[in-house]
Amino acid sequence: MGMERKKKSGMDRKMEIQYLMIVIPGFIIFTIGLIIPTLMAFRYSLTSWDGLTAEKPFVGIQNYINLLHDSNFMQAWVFTFKFTIANTIIQNVCALLLAIALDSGIKMQKAYRTVFFIPCLISSVIVGFIWLKMFSNVLPEFNEILGTNINFLLFGSSSTVLSGLLIANNWQWIGYWMLIYLAGLQSIPAELYEAAKVDGAGAFSRFLHVTIPMLAPSITICVVGITTGSLKVYDLLVSSTSGGPGRSSTSVILHTYNTAISGRQYGYGSAMSVSLVIVLLLVALIQVRSLKNREVQQ
Amino acid sequence: MKKKLLSLILGTALAVSALTGCGGSTEAVTSEGSQTVAGKAETSDTSEAGASDSDTESASSGDKVTLTVLAGQSTTDAGIEDMIDEALAEKYPNITLEWECVGWDGEFHPKMQQYLQTGVPDIIIGKGQDVATYQSLGILKDIDSTYTDRVLDAANENVTFDGKIYGLVYNALYQGVYYNRTMFKENGWEIPKTQDDLQAIIDDCHNKGITPFASHMVDTWSIGNVTMQFMMNDVFNKNPSWGDDFRAGKVSFSDDNDAKTCYQYNKLIYDNTFPETFSLEQTDCDAKMVTGEAAMKVSGSWSIQNFLDIDESFDFGVFPFPNQTGDSKLIFEPNIAVMTSAETKNQDAVNCVLDVLTSDQDLAVEIYDYTKTASMIKGVSPTYPNPSQSDIDKYAAEGMVVDVNLGNNQLVWGGFQDENAADIAAYLQGDESFEQCLAASDARVGASSSSTE
Repeated sequence: MGMERKKKSGMDRKMEIQYLMIVIPGFIIFTIGLIIPTLMAFRYSLTSWDGLTAEKPFVGIQNYINLLHDSNFMQAWVFTFKFTIANTIIQNVCALLLAIALDSGIKMQKAYRTVFFIPCLISSVIVGFIWLKMFSNVLPEFNEILGTNINFLLFGSSSTVLSGLLIANNWQWIGYWMLIYLAGLQSIPAELYEAAKVDGAGAFSRFLHVTIPMLAPSITICVVGITTGSLKVYDLLVSSTSGGPGRSSTSVILHTYNTAISGRQYGYGSAMSVSLVIVLLLVALIQVRSLKNREVQQ
Repeated sequence: MKKKLLSLILGTALAVSALTGCGGSTEAVTSEGSQTVAGKAETSDTSEAGASDSDTESASSGDKVTLTVLAGQSTTDAGIEDMIDEALAEKYPNITLEWECVGWDGEFHPKMQQYLQTGVPDIIIGKGQDVATYQSLGILKDIDSTYTDRVLDAANENVTFDGKIYGLVYNALYQGVYYNRTMFKENGWEIPKTQDDLQAIIDDCHNKGITPFASHMVDTWSIGNVTMQFMMNDVFNKNPSWGDDFRAGKVSFSDDNDAKTCYQYNKLIYDNTFPETFSLEQTDCDAKMVTGEAAMKVSGSWSIQNFLDIDESFDFGVFPFPNQTGDSKLIFEPNIAVMTSAETKNQDAVNCVLDVLTSDQDLAVEIYDYTKTASMIKGVSPTYPNPSQSDIDKYAAEGMVVDVNLGNNQLVWGGFQDENAADIAAYLQGDESFEQCLAASDARVGASSSSTE
């Protein structure tokens, strides 16, 4: 018995070394590229460093206290949350509906799939530029052609800029998430639908009790991906609105960049980025936990 | 659960890595760059600013030297690096410039922040207003009089600190109200000197269905730019140390009527410009100006390139935006400013580059013609047709030109002027009250100084 345990532990140790060898390169890259910068950001957040001088005066948690009174930072959070919530709902619903449409045996499915997917291959910076031109140059031409007076200048007003950005962002990403839903749909066994049919389930009932539960893993991926991606929006804004008009489309990351880099308040900007990480962690944690629980229940 | 937490930490850490990674990732690049320069250089290691001809001669006859150059460029400047390379290769073939060209507005200062951690390039090309910022850090070498004597005295004024000149100002922009000369003639409008004169033209424009001002407020920088123009003629002309007084608590935006007036001028522009100004880019805006959709544009020489590209026969002039006292001056902005590192191991080679820049008149003309900017090198005049040159000459002859770096050196652009511009835009959009906008500028006083001391 004792010998067996010894042999097993020897085998285990070998396996552990093998696993370790596989994990170590990735761990080193993550540590250098992510963990250390994160810790450095936290360290800088406790200073009033301007990013230029050698001195990094320690100020404790003063930067975090200041954040609570910073109306511009709060405004950036409000915009970011609005953008995230709207994106998460619109992109998931539209992507799922498109996936269902393509999965229904529609003709030219591959062509549609390609067309919907292409925008996500374009850089977000280019997408921002495209939609800036669309709203300010291309679409207003339709007013002249059709003799209408539709306001296409969505980026030009603080009351419409969010709508314009949602159009641009959803145009870019719906096709990508659609593919994930499509893959999920195509992996659902046909037998489940047949069994549900035999039990008298209608189309809506089958969607609700077969499709949605079986798509739970895809929903988890899409919801978490869209949420965290939207919370980190930056490049789209840089090339389209630059955070304006005024501050109406300034996201947390854009505000952080402007503060830390252009504004030479590296310490304060680091405090902003640390707060963003905490929010991202919390949001992702809550989403993963609740969505994974649903998967387990099913 | 622990695994999930770990994976989430790793994933979300991406958000801050972009920020902190800036400092970390470039360390290797810049230090490597510096080592490359040091390794290749075998010229004498004199670090004096000595710029004598014998120094440059010794550099020119030495082994191959590669100098690193960080160039923060405006859109009008992109491409001049090839011209400089060509001229340098002709006179000093052993010297090679390793260029890193970035946009001045968004990338130059972040790059400098990175390099400050690891060692700055041998040559730094920014704008005149950057000299104050980086000189205060002690990273710049003062430039020898051999070269600064070759540029106009006006160019040296605001890049001189403690009697030493830290930037070689190469060209200049003129800022003011660019106007459609043909339209002014046809409508019998005189150049306005007072706000009442300007209002009369605005009213006449409205009567005739002409948009008074072309503007592109989607670019928040344009709001910041014109606001400093207004500040120069209504605030700094009365109190040249207004920015220092602001930091000392003697004046504020909320209490100073002149400063308030300057912010209000933005409303005047906004109320008399294209309704799509917050969706209109500079090129489109300049095109509208050229095609006669607007009569005037508060702008700078950077618009000339667009004006002439769109229509080379477009006839335009420039006048200073009228102030409250009717004595406005045309704004002069030292633009390309060449700074050199205090730590360079190749001072002789750096001096050779300064020599080419200040002595090669063909190169200077080529650059001025390309950028459509004004010369700061003595005895050199651009040859491109500039319809506004006669106006510039007139104001210069009358002594009615003022260097905007007086204001820019006291109220820094990044973190102050640009942020104030965002508040002004929010005010114009109705998202902030005028009082909130002024108070926001006052609250930003800590970020207003260009000095890091």
